[in-house]
Amino acid sequence: MELSILLNTGVTENPSDILIFFGRIHPLVVHFPIGFLILAALVEITTKWAKFQPLKNYIHYLWGLGSISALFAILFGYFLSLSGDYNENTVFLHKWSGVALFLFSSICYYISKRQIKLPFYGKSILILIIVFTVFYTGHLGGNLTHGSTYLFEYAPNSIRSLVGMPKKEIPRKKVTVLDSADVYLDLISPIMNNRCVSCHNQDKKKGDLDLTSYANLMKGGENGDVIIPNDTEASDFYRRITLPESHDDFMPSEGKKPLTKNEVLLIGWWINNNAPSNGYFSQLNPDKEIISKVKNILGLDKNSLFNKKVSPPKKEIIDSLSNQGFILNKLMKDNYYLEANFSLSEKSITPKGFETILQLKDQLIWLNLNHSNITDEYLMKIGQLENLIKLNVSRNNISDKGLMHLSDLQNLESLNLYETNVSDSLLTVIPKLINLKRLYLSGSKANDSIINELKKKNEKLRIIFD
Amino acid sequence: MSKYHNFMQKPLSRREMLDICKGGFGSLALLSLLGPLPLSCGQSERSIINPSSNLNLGPHFLPKAKSIIFLYMDGGVSQVDSFDPKPRLTKENGEDPRKKFKVDATQFDNVGKILKSPWEFKQYGECGMPVSELFPHIATCVDDIALIRSMTSQFPEHTNANYFLHTGSGLQGRPSMGSWITYGLGSENKNIPGYVVLDGGLIPPGGLDNFKNGFLPASYQASILRAGPQPIANIKPKESIPNLQEQKLSFIKALDKKQLAEIGEVDAVESAISNYELAYKMQSSIPELTEFKEESKATKKLYGFESDDPHTRGYAAQCLLARRLVERGVRFIELTCPKVSADRWDQHGNLKDGHEKNAHAVDQPIAGLLKDLKSRGLLEETLVVWTGEFGRTPFAQGSNGRDHNPSACSMWMAGAGIKGGTIFGRTDEYGYRVIENEVSVHDLHATMMHLMGINHEHLTFRFGGRDIRLTDVHGHVIKDILA
Ligand code: HEC
Repeated sequence: MELSILLNTGVTENPSDILIFFGRIHPLVVHFPIGFLILAALVEITTKWAKFQPLKNYIHYLWGLGSISALFAILFGYFLSLSGDYNENTVFLHKWSGVALFLFSSICYYISKRQIKLPFYGKSILILIIVFTVFYTGHLGGNLTHGSTYLFEYAPNSIRSLVGMPKKEIPRKKVTVLDSADVYLDLISPIMNNRCVSCHNQDKKKGDLDLTSYANLMKGGENGDVIIPNDTEASDFYRRITLPESHDDFMPSEGKKPLTKNEVLLIGWWINNNAPSNGYFSQLNPDKEIISKVKNILGLDKNSLFNKKVSPPKKEIIDSLSNQGFILNKLMKDNYYLEANFSLSEKSITPKGFETILQLKDQLIWLNLNHSNITDEYLMKIGQLENLIKLNVSRNNISDKGLMHLSDLQNLESLNLYETNVSDSLLTVIPKLINLKRLYLSGSKANDSIINELKKKNEKLRIIFD
Repeated sequence: MSKYHNFMQKPLSRREMLDICKGGFGSLALLSLLGPLPLSCGQSERSIINPSSNLNLGPHFLPKAKSIIFLYMDGGVSQVDSFDPKPRLTKENGEDPRKKFKVDATQFDNVGKILKSPWEFKQYGECGMPVSELFPHIATCVDDIALIRSMTSQFPEHTNANYFLHTGSGLQGRPSMGSWITYGLGSENKNIPGYVVLDGGLIPPGGLDNFKNGFLPASYQASILRAGPQPIANIKPKESIPNLQEQKLSFIKALDKKQLAEIGEVDAVESAISNYELAYKMQSSIPELTEFKEESKATKKLYGFESDDPHTRGYAAQCLLARRLVERGVRFIELTCPKVSADRWDQHGNLKDGHEKNAHAVDQPIAGLLKDLKSRGLLEETLVVWTGEFGRTPFAQGSNGRDHNPSACSMWMAGAGIKGGTIFGRTDEYGYRVIENEVSVHDLHATMMHLMGINHEHLTFRFGGRDIRLTDVHGHVIKDILA
């Protein structure tokens, strides 16, 4: 009687720490009734064989152990539920099926001990119910801790549809061009998935707010709407992510990693643009600043080369270049971008042999030809290696004529012309290399007026010249 | 025969391996086994030593740096006299530190008064970084330097602190950071080892164990070069007639080959053959490297070859050699300090004299190195690290020295992937303890590896039943100083 009063009082406002502490032992204790009761059921079956008959005299101990441990599990489980972190409906079912399990196993204990014969397979049916209840209660418990989608998250779609779950979501393709980015699905929703959903989902709805879908977000939380379109100040969502981190209401709470400045800015922009549920980002007339922030968030501000996968280089080509004295290095684990280095070679290279390198056109991003006796003729070939990011042709006999061949290297970020004979053609070629960040001209034929001219044309370019 | 066969089946220990190769330049030959990185796993030269080791080979992600030059300031430079100015020390000079703050036990427990810095600080560069009079040349490079004022060590004593800085563990026996990096990336140059220590005259306390491979394969230990006519023992052939050495070698090779044919493929014999071959190559590659004939007078002057101070000239040669090693694809180069008359940077007494002598020896060569690397375009792929093993106390030891202080140390990095002109971390008003953005030695290692394209959590070696890494279970990349 007392037990049921205790059980029915429900969630108290502030459970004491010691109760929560005991509550957290629940996940340990629950495994005892599961083990004992399944074992008892197994032993019941085996006693049908003559060989195991003697066990019959002891079976009631197992049922007894099962029932007592079930009682403890219920008690600790109840304490745990006081913290209120769990889905109420599931807790209700879990609690009462646990209580049922305790009652059934106590009955089993009693009839085994007294050796009472039940009519019409009574005992077998009872055991069957117990086993079923063990699984059912356990499953509910699993749902409570891991979330109801945990078990079938990776199940094949056929099994998922059997249990009434939607097909597995096909993850959205990584955005590689800004124009294909959907404002909600590719920008806003991933932010929440990373930083908020762990506390705001169907099973764990802190503040009664579910952030797993646009519809649920718009339903708001316990204090009503959290997003008011076109009004960041009235939106509780925005207020909470912009508070000082130490504020009680700050989200994400509990010292979880806060949103970045760019993410906050983007969410504000989205709310001010009517908080749409879908639509292309670029069609909402974003200004330059927000475009650059979004590019940063999507990783599109880095060199776009790295968004695509290149195929592995052919072994014959690698072998042939290695034999000619090139050292070829793979530059990353998950892609086949390469560096080619000829500067350490003891052999010299022929224009004919050098042509082989064009077959690495896709893969080659760094090329080091420092002090390699190359001439203008070679630069014609190099000019076709359009993926090059870093090119070092320092200390070679290279003139303006050769440099002209390099104007198409749109990915080039670093160009080393140390101790070469280039001069006036720099003014034609360098401004065409739109991504160029560093240019080395010490010991070249360039002069101060050329350098100043170049600096004027591209203020961001760092020119090393002394 | 069967006895011999048994012997060959036994895996070779490092000692035995060295023994086999001792015909003059054996141990060095072993080091140069590292070939260029193979694209396809398989017939790399390295697989001869340990077939499984090349699974780890190559960067995890696009690297910023291809080489590291580690300028080791042996003994511990005083932070409040170099890169971390503290006006309060001047104000309270001569007062009792125990009345101002809690003083930890120091090594010599001879705590004197608060000691102001004998040197003035000035701001330099566009970034306005303050540097003391000790380093007038390095001060001209501050816009390429990221200064960390908040490094700490776990050890207040040289030997342990050195092991900690070099191997990530205060105890002897772990692989050095240079070993880890060459283990992860291999070497580009077939003729020169991938991890080189340039010995300036002072081997740090703790000895050669600072540069050892620990449980990594022996080929990843440092080889030690001296600047001078004989950079490596026995690098000049003993034989008076050039032909004689070649004949000897080819005879040995023929014998080894014959043995191989009889006993089947045995790693030890195969590596012995290639060791001889590579050591032979080093006879020409090493003298070529250490002769500075092709360097211009202007370059040499930049480094300080024309200084009156022989120690400056000595360190200048080391710095120039370091650049030449970078050009030749060597991964990790550490420079140890020159032996000036006042001991390493470890001024327990006579701070002014000792620090001035040490600073004078290294200042111009280091600045020259940074500038030369920069104009050649090498600084964008070379990480230069300048650090001691710990800092020094803001109060005196005795009357005019400073004791060890592991709770705060200033260090800097420049080059590949580093945001020049940044200052990271902060110490209290006395420069005694870190109060903001503490950087541990593990963080430093993680950052160095990161710039080399290595995820420090993924480069591991199984030893004693555990996958061990340089940063053990610690280390965070210092993102704020990265470009
Ligand atoms: C560590 C768990 C946790 C995380 C992560 C978290 N929240 Fe919360 N959130 C809570 C709790 C607990 C409450 C209820 C208490 C309160 O109102 O402060 C809450 C309440 C809210 C509310 C108020 C709901 C209402 O109507 O009262 C909003 C809005 C909110 N969170 C937004 C967010 C956003 C946006 C994020 C992600 C940036 C986030 N939360 C991440 C735990 C979390």
